[in-house]
Amino acid sequence: MTEEAILQGCLKNEAAAQRELYNRYSPKMLAVCYRFAHNREDAEDMLQEGFIKVFSQMHTFQNKGAFEGWIRRIIVHTCINNLKKNKRFNESLDIVHASGVQVREESVPSIVQAKQIVECIRILPIGYRTVLNLYAIEGYSHKEIADMLDIEESTSRSQYTRAKQMLEEILIRKKILTKPREKADWLVAVR
Amino acid sequence: MKESNFYSDDFEQLIRDKTEQYKMYPSERVWKGVHNSLHTRRRWFIGSMALLVTGILFFAGRELITPSAHSVLVRKPASTAASIAEAPKPWLAAHIPHTALSAYHSANPSSPVRHSNTAENNSEEGQDPEYKEISITLSHPVIDPSDLSGWLSRVQLPDHAPEIAVIAARTVGGDGSRPAEDGLRTGVRPGAENVSGHESTDASRVDASPGAGDLADADGLSARQVLESLSGRGGNTRMTGRLARNRSTGNGVAADGLLPDSVSRGNKASAAAIAEAQDRQRINWLHDYALNSLPVPSKRGRTFFQLTLSPTVNYRSLNGIDPAYEKWGPSNNFSGNPAQMINVSPAFGFEFGGSILYRLTRNLSVKGGLQFNFARYKITAFADSGSQQGTDYDSYFGMVQAMANQAPGTQQRGNAPVPSPVNKLTLNNDYYQLSAPIGFELRVLGNERLQFNLGATIQPSYLLGTSSYMLSQDYTKYSKEPAKYRKWNISGGLEAFLSYRVGNIRWQVGPEFRYQFMSTYTSQSSFSENLKTYGLKIGLTKALP
Repeated sequence: MTEEAILQGCLKNEAAAQRELYNRYSPKMLAVCYRFAHNREDAEDMLQEGFIKVFSQMHTFQNKGAFEGWIRRIIVHTCINNLKKNKRFNESLDIVHASGVQVREESVPSIVQAKQIVECIRILPIGYRTVLNLYAIEGYSHKEIADMLDIEESTSRSQYTRAKQMLEEILIRKKILTKPREKADWLVAVR
Repeated sequence: MKESNFYSDDFEQLIRDKTEQYKMYPSERVWKGVHNSLHTRRRWFIGSMALLVTGILFFAGRELITPSAHSVLVRKPASTAASIAEAPKPWLAAHIPHTALSAYHSANPSSPVRHSNTAENNSEEGQDPEYKEISITLSHPVIDPSDLSGWLSRVQLPDHAPEIAVIAARTVGGDGSRPAEDGLRTGVRPGAENVSGHESTDASRVDASPGAGDLADADGLSARQVLESLSGRGGNTRMTGRLARNRSTGNGVAADGLLPDSVSRGNKASAAAIAEAQDRQRINWLHDYALNSLPVPSKRGRTFFQLTLSPTVNYRSLNGIDPAYEKWGPSNNFSGNPAQMINVSPAFGFEFGGSILYRLTRNLSVKGGLQFNFARYKITAFADSGSQQGTDYDSYFGMVQAMANQAPGTQQRGNAPVPSPVNKLTLNNDYYQLSAPIGFELRVLGNERLQFNLGATIQPSYLLGTSSYMLSQDYTKYSKEPAKYRKWNISGGLEAFLSYRVGNIRWQVGPEFRYQFMSTYTSQSSFSENLKTYGLKIGLTKALP
């Protein structure tokens, strides 16, 4: 089934087309949600809410840009809205110094690199993680992030800087990355 | 610009690439939540069906547990008859003061009505050699005219029973009661009016009754003479009659012949003859009452309600597998028919439903109803503990045995090795269907109590839900693909059963077989799966009013 046919079917509220669309994009989108959420259950709740929005707002998609990008934006906004309902998340955004955060050795599962990196990201404090996700992975600018999270742009920058430092640290400690002086090696090791 | 120890662009690109590679497969719960919120009409459909089934169950329960409305309806005339029997009947009592009126008197309305025939001066029952007695239970829910005739025929009447009997239409002259001529003119039968307990007489109904107002009958003279002979004994009481043909043809109630000559000759009729005539009056009154005043029983016995429950064992047949599939297996080193590496075993399920049966002939009934089917069979698969969670790679829930037989840790799916060792899994394939069986039942052997029947149905069915695993196109693993399941299907059912009637309920038990004609999967799948169900159907059937 082509993407065009799926879109047309979804606009007609056809269950088969909706299921096809869901099957096609839900694995990626759940991974997105998982990076934002506290656990898998929360991620699935976010995914469900996001897909309901996707299907109910399908008529607003205007074929400008990739369909996947449009879905992704809806999912990310759904995740952010969910996180903002959490008081802990709002407080965590104000934390600038994260040097005290300890990385638990056993919390990083050693399966495959993609999963390892995602799990390492999830170790980060929720505020750092959110900004890192939005900036480094989803490609939002600091201004957009500031608007989305109702924070200052400078706060977003500093959060991202700290988040990246912490993630590097974690990845090196987990031997997923090597130190900068061994740049050639870690690039080879990762790629 | 460097923001950390690493070059920013490289680091961000690395993170982006790696996270993009990562996929997670949501549980089925997520899609159900999405689907349910988008398709409320389906919920309405399921709700309506649930309501319908509940209604059927309620109706069945009411019919089986509480007395049916029909029973109540039919008992009314009995109580009416009893009250009538107990009520004073001046038109009768005034003329037959010493005649036993036990036929109309009953201490207990539901007790049998004693119908006595005694001589005028002999008030004690049984002393007269011609004493006749019948017992008629008017409270019986169904009084068929033919049955009543049968009961009446048990009366041992004299050999010279009249053909024409008198249905009493008597009035007490001089006491302001109805003039006899009124009854004669209008054809209204006072007896029926009184018996039915109605204030106004339904003249048209009475007129329509056989023999009503038939005074011009050739036999009328004899009957009138009988009545006159009776009235002569009543002093100033005058008795008239309306004649009706005697429909009783059984023992003693002769179809031929007139009243005994001794009676028909007039005023000098003997007491015995008078008593005989009175007895005949009562018999005919009862007969006429049953025919004309009792409500006509509805046509029962043709429509039935049936409830069935069947524990079942379910199998499937899977077609469409290419026995010479070249790419079978991850490393193409498998040989043999892939179908042989699929381990499927039957499992228990059940069916439950209700039907309405309509009896076309004595032996053949057609039926239609609703039935809920739960079918299940088991698949043996092999997987690592993580794969069941659906968190990794794809919607992968287990592999076929050949995959598991490979050396642990060497299997590759994409870039990821399958963790080892693998565990043996039992995957349950569950189907929830609502079907509408339409078919027939044929009585092959037996009588009204014990029967052997055969039945067949065609069953359009709707898949309410499924939790099942589909074999992948490369025959290596199982995955969940709910969109590839056909919603509407058609099945056929065959059954043979023994049925036994206990009271108003007929119980049945016997084997059944159900086969799903169309594939479980839509045409998107290259496989076709047909479900086969063997069951033991237990049911009960009850006549509807």
